[in-house]
Amino acid sequence: MIAGPYFLTNVALLAVGTFAIRVFFIALSGRMRISPKTKELFTYIPAAIFPALVVPATFFHQGQVAALAGKERFLVLIASGIFCYFVRNTFAVIVFGLAVLFVISSYLAT
Amino acid sequence: MQNFKLGFRAMLPLAPGILPFGAVMGSTFAEANLTFGQSMLMNASVYAGAAQLATVNLMKLNAAVFVVVITGLMINMRFLLYSAAISPQLKGEPWWIKFACAFTLTDQSYATMTAKADLFSNNHQAIRFYLGSALAMGLTWHGSVIAGVIFGNFAPASLSLDYAVPLSFVALLVPTLKTRGHRVLAVFSSLVSLLMYGLPFKAGLIVTAILSMGLAAVIIRRRGHA
Repeated sequence: MIAGPYFLTNVALLAVGTFAIRVFFIALSGRMRISPKTKELFTYIPAAIFPALVVPATFFHQGQVAALAGKERFLVLIASGIFCYFVRNTFAVIVFGLAVLFVISSYLAT
Repeated sequence: MQNFKLGFRAMLPLAPGILPFGAVMGSTFAEANLTFGQSMLMNASVYAGAAQLATVNLMKLNAAVFVVVITGLMINMRFLLYSAAISPQLKGEPWWIKFACAFTLTDQSYATMTAKADLFSNNHQAIRFYLGSALAMGLTWHGSVIAGVIFGNFAPASLSLDYAVPLSFVALLVPTLKTRGHRVLAVFSSLVSLLMYGLPFKAGLIVTAILSMGLAAVIIRRRGHA
């Protein structure tokens, strides 16, 4: 059971802290001069963050396909990345990845 | 208005990933015996799924407040980079647009705008597109969390719909890997994130982000000298 005051304290601090993080540079947007090099640096943000969000979550996920050492999600992720390179459609990539994972899990799971 | 609608529509393909994630969040609230009001308060005020999931689980264990808050803010620290990236487009916009953009800054809304960056001829168009995608994200997320609180985790386990979240990030990442430097950085970030996975307070994500942005700066500098 999570006590009410304890929950509210945590939520209040998380809400204020998270908004402060989100608004920090946006609040400065009128006062900052951003150089072309910095703007170029911003284009690297997805490459810096998204792999770190998805790779550990899939690599350390323990699946059920012994033949793939339980790493079917990680392997399907790589296959989906290659598929996405040729088919630039978000929904198609999601459907492809889920379908391949479903087939592998259904037919190879032990 | 056209860019707003385009942004709204651009977020819809991500719904298969957002819905099961929201369902997991909602059912986690319910399993932690939080009231509907408490669940909605956290969901509306923090509005960051990964951090909420981690911190509710810590609160269930009665972890110290600083542990809960530091863990949540570590996970959310990546928004600082998104905030920096979106800030040039917001120059000259009224404060309430800036407020709305900051409050709704999520991985999905930022990534959707970045993936479609070539579509916009000016900042105003980009921000309208962003706000449209952020609205679609908010509706999908809050709707699925509410459904998860009421009905539990409604996503059929056999379909592994939770896996749609990483897949949607792959789909949003690949179009941004336009140069060899971007691709090298994505591989670097993947490897470092695996090495940093065990860090306390879920700090692996932000440490990987900092190291990766450091490498990005080196890549840009070296290209400048080439």
